[in-house]
Amino acid sequence: MKKRSKELTLFIIFVCIFIILSILSPDRFLSIDNFQSMASQLPEFGIIAIGMMVVILTGGIDLSITSIAALSGISGAYFMTKSLELGISEPVSILVGVISIFVVAVICGLINGGIVAYIGVAPMLVTLGTMAVFEGISLNVTKGGAISGFPDAYSWFGNGSLMGIPVPMLLFIVVAIIGAIILERTPWGVSVYMLGNNPLATMYSGINIKKVQLRVYIFSALMAGISALIMTSRYNSAKVDYGSSYLLQSVAAVVLGGTDIAGGYGKVIGTVIAVAIIQCISSGFNLLGINRYLTDITMGVILLLVLAINFFSQRRHSFKLVSR
Amino acid sequence: MIRMKTIWKSKEMSMFLILIIISLIITLKNPVFLSVENILDMLKSNVVLGIMAMGMLVVIISGGIDVSVGAMIAAITVIVGNFLVHISNNILLSFLVGGFAGIIMGGINGLLVSMLEIPPIVVTLGTMSIINGIMLYYTNGNWINDIPNNFINFGTKTPLGIPIQIYFFFGAAILTWFILKYTLFGRGVYAIGGNLLSAQRIGYNVKRIKLLVYTLMGFLTGIAAVVHTSIMKQVDPNAFTGFELQVIGAVVLGGANVAGGMGSVWGTIVGVLLMAVINNGLILMHIPTFWQRFIIGLIIVLAVSFDVIQRKRSEKQFVRVDVE
Repeated sequence: MKKRSKELTLFIIFVCIFIILSILSPDRFLSIDNFQSMASQLPEFGIIAIGMMVVILTGGIDLSITSIAALSGISGAYFMTKSLELGISEPVSILVGVISIFVVAVICGLINGGIVAYIGVAPMLVTLGTMAVFEGISLNVTKGGAISGFPDAYSWFGNGSLMGIPVPMLLFIVVAIIGAIILERTPWGVSVYMLGNNPLATMYSGINIKKVQLRVYIFSALMAGISALIMTSRYNSAKVDYGSSYLLQSVAAVVLGGTDIAGGYGKVIGTVIAVAIIQCISSGFNLLGINRYLTDITMGVILLLVLAINFFSQRRHSFKLVSR
Repeated sequence: MIRMKTIWKSKEMSMFLILIIISLIITLKNPVFLSVENILDMLKSNVVLGIMAMGMLVVIISGGIDVSVGAMIAAITVIVGNFLVHISNNILLSFLVGGFAGIIMGGINGLLVSMLEIPPIVVTLGTMSIINGIMLYYTNGNWINDIPNNFINFGTKTPLGIPIQIYFFFGAAILTWFILKYTLFGRGVYAIGGNLLSAQRIGYNVKRIKLLVYTLMGFLTGIAAVVHTSIMKQVDPNAFTGFELQVIGAVVLGGANVAGGMGSVWGTIVGVLLMAVINNGLILMHIPTFWQRFIIGLIIVLAVSFDVIQRKRSEKQFVRVDVE
């Protein structure tokens, strides 16, 4: 008998949770309002989780991902408001803001990736340090406060909708599809998985692992940038602590989604389902009026439970192999 | 002579040199830095970091990591605070309660890591959100202010002119040093961190060692929680968000290898001192608080990069010797 895939197990769990929440609160959970609010909250977190996943696939981790999001968002906000002050027209200012978000994000990714790939420092250490560095710069720019006063049109990225679907959700879908294609259909994607499985063998098979690693960190930084675009637009301001709670949550989502924390295995669809589970629980519990701290507890329990189930089902599977 | 050379080249030594250089720079800028009063003050305010860094050192040598320590210490300060206010103001009992609570929480981490073979970062992510959730649900984020007077008096004692909390730090350091150097468990920690499979084949009980590693971490966290309460004279459930990264940072600055198998108590002391000196020095040098995080991050990145570059260079020399 074929072993059930991790992603399918996860999807079944998602359906169960969805059904339970629908039964508990049919009029509110199953409403269009709720779906729309979930669809606008989920993307900023989901996109960060996808960025984190690609780094984890190589066996690394990016602890600076949320501070990259904060820093790039703040720089975007800074340059956008500055160019408005200089009397430059709104559309051009928005363009300046968006471009500077991504330029700063890529620079941050280059710093992380450069140190990890070309100097060879452990990713956890590098990103632990750069996390503080990026946060420090953000604090200096904002002096602890928030930057606001964006043009009205800018809020389209976070609050607008196309054909009834919120723009952030569209961005998330596009990112997930492109991410899946890049990872599973391109040579670079394949080398990411190979690198996570066995860096030495990958190097000897003629792949420039330094380049692969560098691009991984740029990719995750770009994801942080997209998330920053959504967050700054949704809150109509930029602040150091926007998104900071997503750091360990995104690691949890990636692992919940079936990605091996040691690298080498993981699928975008798994991460997407995990993000959806987390969003359903937090929105559903919120609607049911359950204390938000109980939501944290439930998330932790689910994370450990899924891993325990994986462990036991894997062991049963290997027992069967042995007895055969 | 050879021994002298290896000491000079060790990671710990290079960190120690950095510590001396930074201290010199700070002293030149502000001589107050070297006053006994300032040094004792600085030590006292980093005792909690130091005690927990000792536990984290053992965890990291074993090849694991514990990101739940911030949540653990917060929860234990709440438990101890409530114990002191509502049950008994006995100081010895408060340490027993703190230590016991730590052993339970650490033991749960240890059981999950050793029995279910879930990667430590994932387990502790899960328990982090569970412990944090339970603690915040129970306290609602409220402070405990009415700590009994005898406990506050205990916290202000200075035997031999040294704040009592500093003795706990040295106690923890000596205990950890002894365990790592002279017990079978301690040697086992290095063995499983260096090469898990070999350690297993030699006959180390890997599961038991892992269980004990996390239990020890919990115990030291419990003691640190009581010490923290004696310094602050109140309990703030939110005082430790992000503290786990500081603890990990201090340990890796002190030369421990995040991949496991390497690290020493004296290196960790240097790491903690480095963190303390940087924090204190930046204040003494009147550097705006917004720059402090930036500089700490920069020093972490530079220190670990410098260390890797130096190691690579010495490895190259080895290779050349081999060829000749």
